[in-house]
Amino acid sequence: MGFILNPLYNIVSGVIVFIHKLLEPLFGADSGVTWTLSIMGLVVLIRIILIPLFVKQIKSQRALTALQPHMKEIQKKYKDDRQKQSEEMMKLYKEHKTNPLASCFPILAQAPIFFALFTVLNGIAAKTPEGVSAPIARGFLKGEYLDSAAQAAFFGAKISQSFLGSTDTTVKIVTVLLIIFMSATTFTTQRQLMVKGMPKMDASNNMMLQQQKIMLYLFPVIFAISGVNFPVGVLIYWSTTNLWTWGQQYYVIKRNPTPGSPAYEELQRKRAHKDKLDAKGAEGIDQDEAIEPEVQGQREQPKKKKKKKK
Amino acid sequence: MRMILTALVRAYQVATSNFAPRCKYYPSCSNYAITAIGRYGFKGIAMAAWRIVRCNPWSQGGVDYVDAHLDCADAKNLTRDNEKEVVGAN
Repeated sequence: MGFILNPLYNIVSGVIVFIHKLLEPLFGADSGVTWTLSIMGLVVLIRIILIPLFVKQIKSQRALTALQPHMKEIQKKYKDDRQKQSEEMMKLYKEHKTNPLASCFPILAQAPIFFALFTVLNGIAAKTPEGVSAPIARGFLKGEYLDSAAQAAFFGAKISQSFLGSTDTTVKIVTVLLIIFMSATTFTTQRQLMVKGMPKMDASNNMMLQQQKIMLYLFPVIFAISGVNFPVGVLIYWSTTNLWTWGQQYYVIKRNPTPGSPAYEELQRKRAHKDKLDAKGAEGIDQDEAIEPEVQGQREQPKKKKKKKK
Repeated sequence: MRMILTALVRAYQVATSNFAPRCKYYPSCSNYAITAIGRYGFKGIAMAAWRIVRCNPWSQGGVDYVDAHLDCADAKNLTRDNEKEVVGAN
């Protein structure tokens, strides 16, 4: 496993140490702030790298508007056969070379980084069987950096300590607060998407409410079970990435919402209002311009030509 | 072994069912894995792994069954109809 994991340790520790070097003059080498920001910087870097994938996804979701009539047709035609319905839907996406679903890659891509960070931070907290602190160096986190990181604290809790691995009350309080924060961000993100970001469904509102309720209870449980084993530093990583997801989604819903969703209608109203004001300012210049926003984003899709069999 | 793996995949499905479905393929990677492992054992694990690799942002997804001739909707409808006929004959 070493040949796979060592490069990961190098990347993770390398990025953290690099950001630490940049921030050292500002907050001091041994400051918990520097180490916390280094971990957050790692998150930001990874998420920036993943942005193109996200944009690609949003684009292909938008392309679906053009397929809406086809989709309705399929739903009607096979309304008694869910499997056939799904099959035909997938065929339709493929035919139009678009797919609204993200695939699990963006999450899977983060998993190794997450695991590597977990190991690197656990290495800092390692002890001998006698209970003497014996940090294990991994990747670039070695020597003075290792000693410094072992002492770094986030609101009084050492970043290498975990809820179960520590008797310190501060560590317990900080980890619990971080777990609550993680649950809250995940829940708000999901809720925001359901309430504002998705096209209105016909009869599934009830089911969605049900799901939200399950989530409200399920997430704190999942996060609590896994979170008590994780060092504070990993929880910081997790919290930051959740916060990023929320912000990213907030931006998209505000600026570029899915056609048909409540947020989209709101934006249309705003634009229409703004256009009215503009039209008043420069009356009778061009009527067409006021209508333009409604046409935007719905480029006419090229029709697929059927190939003739030879 | 199969039971454990299937249970794990099921647990994953229950845990993530609250999110919008995200798989590019039909059936989803997890359902594919359950069928593949149930039918082919170790080879099924490899098949499921290969499916997850294929399910990436640069693929277009689509309909992809473990055994199309056994699992697709038309095949299932056919067996169902046949059963009905048999029942009708009795």
